[in-house]
Amino acid sequence: MISLIRSEIYKIRKQSKTLYALAAILIIEGFVIVSAYYQGTGIIDLLLANLKDSFEFKGNLLNGNLIIYLILNSLWFHIPLILMIIISGFLTSEYKDRTLETVMLQPVSKLNFILSKYVVSIIFTLLIVLLLAVSTFLVSYWIFGKGDLVVYLDGLNFFESEEAFYRLIYAFISGANSMIFFSVVSLTLAVILKDATKTWIVSAIFLICSNLLLKIDFQNEFLNELFFSKLTDSWQYFFYYKIPYSTIYFKNLMLFGYTLITMIIGIIIFKRRDIQV
Amino acid sequence: MILEARKISKSYGSLEVLKNVTLECHKGRIYGLIGANGTGKTTLFRILLGLIKADGGSIKINSQGIKPIGGIIEKPALYGYLSAYGNLKVFAQIQGLNLTKELYGKSMHQVGLSTNRTDAVKNYSLGMKQRLGLAIALLNNPDCIVLDEPFSGLDPMGIIALHELIKTLSSQNQITIIISSHIVSELTDLCETLYVLNEGEIIKKGPSAELLNENVTTYKIVGNNLEMSEVLQSINAVFSNNSAFVSPETISISKILQKLIEEGQEVTACIPQTDLKALFGGRKI
Repeated sequence: MISLIRSEIYKIRKQSKTLYALAAILIIEGFVIVSAYYQGTGIIDLLLANLKDSFEFKGNLLNGNLIIYLILNSLWFHIPLILMIIISGFLTSEYKDRTLETVMLQPVSKLNFILSKYVVSIIFTLLIVLLLAVSTFLVSYWIFGKGDLVVYLDGLNFFESEEAFYRLIYAFISGANSMIFFSVVSLTLAVILKDATKTWIVSAIFLICSNLLLKIDFQNEFLNELFFSKLTDSWQYFFYYKIPYSTIYFKNLMLFGYTLITMIIGIIIFKRRDIQV
Repeated sequence: MILEARKISKSYGSLEVLKNVTLECHKGRIYGLIGANGTGKTTLFRILLGLIKADGGSIKINSQGIKPIGGIIEKPALYGYLSAYGNLKVFAQIQGLNLTKELYGKSMHQVGLSTNRTDAVKNYSLGMKQRLGLAIALLNNPDCIVLDEPFSGLDPMGIIALHELIKTLSSQNQITIIISSHIVSELTDLCETLYVLNEGEIIKKGPSAELLNENVTTYKIVGNNLEMSEVLQSINAVFSNNSAFVSPETISISKILQKLIEEGQEVTACIPQTDLKALFGGRKI
């Protein structure tokens, strides 16, 4: 199993498309930072228009922390989409190039092979989120500096710079769980569909629907609490004045459960199917 | 016996691809599986290699090794963006082998490839890819190798080189090799035993030479001015360039050749032509 994981990592490292994907993520991040700056100026003006008449604000509220928060908000569509494309490619390219057949002609169990794909996908996702987090913090603080964070969630919430820093870090950690879910879904779709283009289309539709369903009120407590799409935004809860830790834990655990179930479905389908490319 | 496949059957929906196919292979021998396109050769090989499950029947491989059977299905599928070393490293690693410099050198040498090339495998010729594919199949010393249409797409020199390699692997390493092809000439002088597959059934099996001789109805005689030969005219030979095609019925080919020499004809070759229709569509065994 360890040797399978090592060989998967070796293949990812040697593929030029991995570099393209990393470049795409960093380019998107750059664009988001620029748009976050302009968006941030507008948001600050809008939010504080009335308050400025009554209160005196010190320091610059359009700072690195606000930019990171805005980046967090806008990255949860672009990054999962790129991750889903790359990660499904880990398997669809093996189908397309028929290398899956050559792998399965070696003394390798199907279970270990597909499990190693899932493990490597999760490691890859975590590394991408880490890269994203580190680069976002570095670039945002470098260009915009530190400062207090103002966010609007059921009202205006102000956080001092240090508090904002750890809330943003926790948000990235919680967000990584959502990313893992989307990555695992894309790999399972690759197991089912085998073909790259079909998998990309279905992954994109899944992501769009998931984002749309997140906003919809199902008028049903069970669905509103437990449906997978309602569990992918737990990172947002770190920006309430009082952090609802129990809700965050519950949502993350439930989402992790969905991830495991999706993975198990993928493993069962892969194991039962003939290797026919 | 190293490999024993008994009554293998496989269907896709209502289409029966394999019907009670039985194969028996002994250690260190070369077997040929011949049949027209779409007769189930690749499906049978996929089953032997464990890629797909048979609907019925059993497969027994008498080997204590880590990798009892290896092979290549159709064209070798390699990681095009990796070098030969990278490919061998990946495929060795996944089966728990450490690809040392010695093992890499030995593997490449075994299939006649140089260790000097470090570029991506996508730049390799088909013949080189076949050799590298074979080197991967040979990792962990399997007792049996299955090669599906290995000569397809190779140039004549590539075919000769692969012939030699297969013979060496069989005689020196005592590896059992099963080769499929739809071209009879490719298997004639390579395989000791032939299985003929038609519409999913083994319709004939036996020593290659015997099986092919049984189904030779025509001979191609090559020489100069053959159309002037009274002997050939009398047996209604068909002439084409410097060749004559004869289908002896009342007289044997050796007699025809003897008469041609007596007539003063210069015969440079006599090539038996296997009647594929007879070979592929003969009586069931």
